[in-house]
Amino acid sequence: MTHNPELQYHIQMKQGDVGRYVFLPGDPGRCEKIARYFDNPQLIAYNREYKTYTGTLLGEKVSVTSTGIGCPSTAIAVEELIAIGADTFIRIGTSGGIQPNIKTGDVAIVTSAIRDEGTTSHYMPIEFPAVADVDVVVALREAAIKIDMPFHLGPTQSKDSFFGETEPDRMPVNTRLNRRWKAWIDGGTICSEMEAAAIFILSSIYRKRAGGVMVMASLEEAQNLTEEEIEKMRALFDVDRAIRVAIEGLKLLIEKDRQ
Amino acid sequence: MTKTKHLAVQSDDVGRYVFLPGDPGRCEKIAGYFKDPVEVAFNREYRTMTGELLGEKVSVVSTGIGNPSAAIAIEELHQLGADTFIRVGTSGGMQPEVVPGDLGIVKASIRDEGTTRHYMPVEFPAVADLDMVQRLTKAAQDLGYPAHVGISHCKDSFYGQMAPERMPVAVDLQQRWQAWVRGGVMCAEMESATLFALGSVYRLRAGSIVLIAVNQERPELGESNDIQPLIVTAIEAMKLTIIEDKKKGK
Repeated sequence: MTHNPELQYHIQMKQGDVGRYVFLPGDPGRCEKIARYFDNPQLIAYNREYKTYTGTLLGEKVSVTSTGIGCPSTAIAVEELIAIGADTFIRIGTSGGIQPNIKTGDVAIVTSAIRDEGTTSHYMPIEFPAVADVDVVVALREAAIKIDMPFHLGPTQSKDSFFGETEPDRMPVNTRLNRRWKAWIDGGTICSEMEAAAIFILSSIYRKRAGGVMVMASLEEAQNLTEEEIEKMRALFDVDRAIRVAIEGLKLLIEKDRQ
Repeated sequence: MTKTKHLAVQSDDVGRYVFLPGDPGRCEKIAGYFKDPVEVAFNREYRTMTGELLGEKVSVVSTGIGNPSAAIAIEELHQLGADTFIRVGTSGGMQPEVVPGDLGIVKASIRDEGTTRHYMPVEFPAVADLDMVQRLTKAAQDLGYPAHVGISHCKDSFYGQMAPERMPVAVDLQQRWQAWVRGGVMCAEMESATLFALGSVYRLRAGSIVLIAVNQERPELGESNDIQPLIVTAIEAMKLTIIEDKKKGK
């Protein structure tokens, strides 16, 4: 690929291509599902794992850009989106719910993230908290209440290894993984995913706003299920539940920003 | 009923709602807003006064300076049934717009201290309760006091911040300080990380508000010692909490 100096290197877009409000799913396949809620969505760019649609909500320009899996590719997306004018990010995704009271289909509105990943230490020392913007979190919570979506509020574990979470015992460092996993649960962590820490740290240091909403699968409920129960869980573990909260939350935020 | 080891109080002595200043000398000023305040204990740096706000039993307990003594206070209060905390303290502003006399509502803390790692791995965020942040913000707005919402640098060494050059680890301290300032940190103080970490671990409601007494990046601004707005805002936020709890029948 020859580099067009007008375009951001990875997301392949320039100023004007995105709104200040950007939804951030991990999966490029989910961009269209999110853009369907926009007025006049247009596919703007699709390079590597970065797919972007731009449209409007309540007359404001809004975008959705996929980040790919993990904090390294997410940090690149957020860096380049900020460079072309974005200032408010809402991560949308799926995650594992890790408290006993969480049911499959509940959404996680995350207040902060465990920095169990390798990217954000390139920005800030590890003691610095990865925390969401209060106004964004409040808007997402209001949205969940408004559309009657069951939700949980709390920190997420942002990790770099998917299989280190789902199959820790095949890792040579399994005892450390298991020990830390128990600490995350005891400490009140609500879910586990792979991108929020990068979005929150970058937003903090660049004085931007960020929040996140994820639909959860209960890791407890997933044990010993019948075929029928598995089907029912699959239907509930639908990212559209998180999308609806995010869309409604952003509308509330847009209204608040206008005041 | 036995008294706790350090605070020397028993469960009847404290309410579920507790203010946490660092300085025992500030307990009386805070309790001045309670109905019928009584000093129930004063052991070591822990002074406890209990009274009422809106008919609910509330207390103020000084934590002493720093995370180690604050953790002990919160542990013992949690053991006695307290579940709602507002730290009321002073701090140094770190951004140019965070000036002496302003209030700082702490939404999360840098864990630059040694205590909270005895509870949770360092990657875990020290975060305030969202509702407490909202109520403190609303209280400051309603009272017309200038307030910022942001992250605090929570450290264990006062002079490591004020006079880093005389520490053998000066370069490390100074580089990290620059990172905190560039990263947007609002202010520096010495107890919030512990309050927030223990709040997560024990499912407590934890909020923190500080008076910006100085701004280390702008020493020419001088010092503010007027703690009245700080205390009044904390009292108002606790009242908002009590009112909401009563509405929900909690």
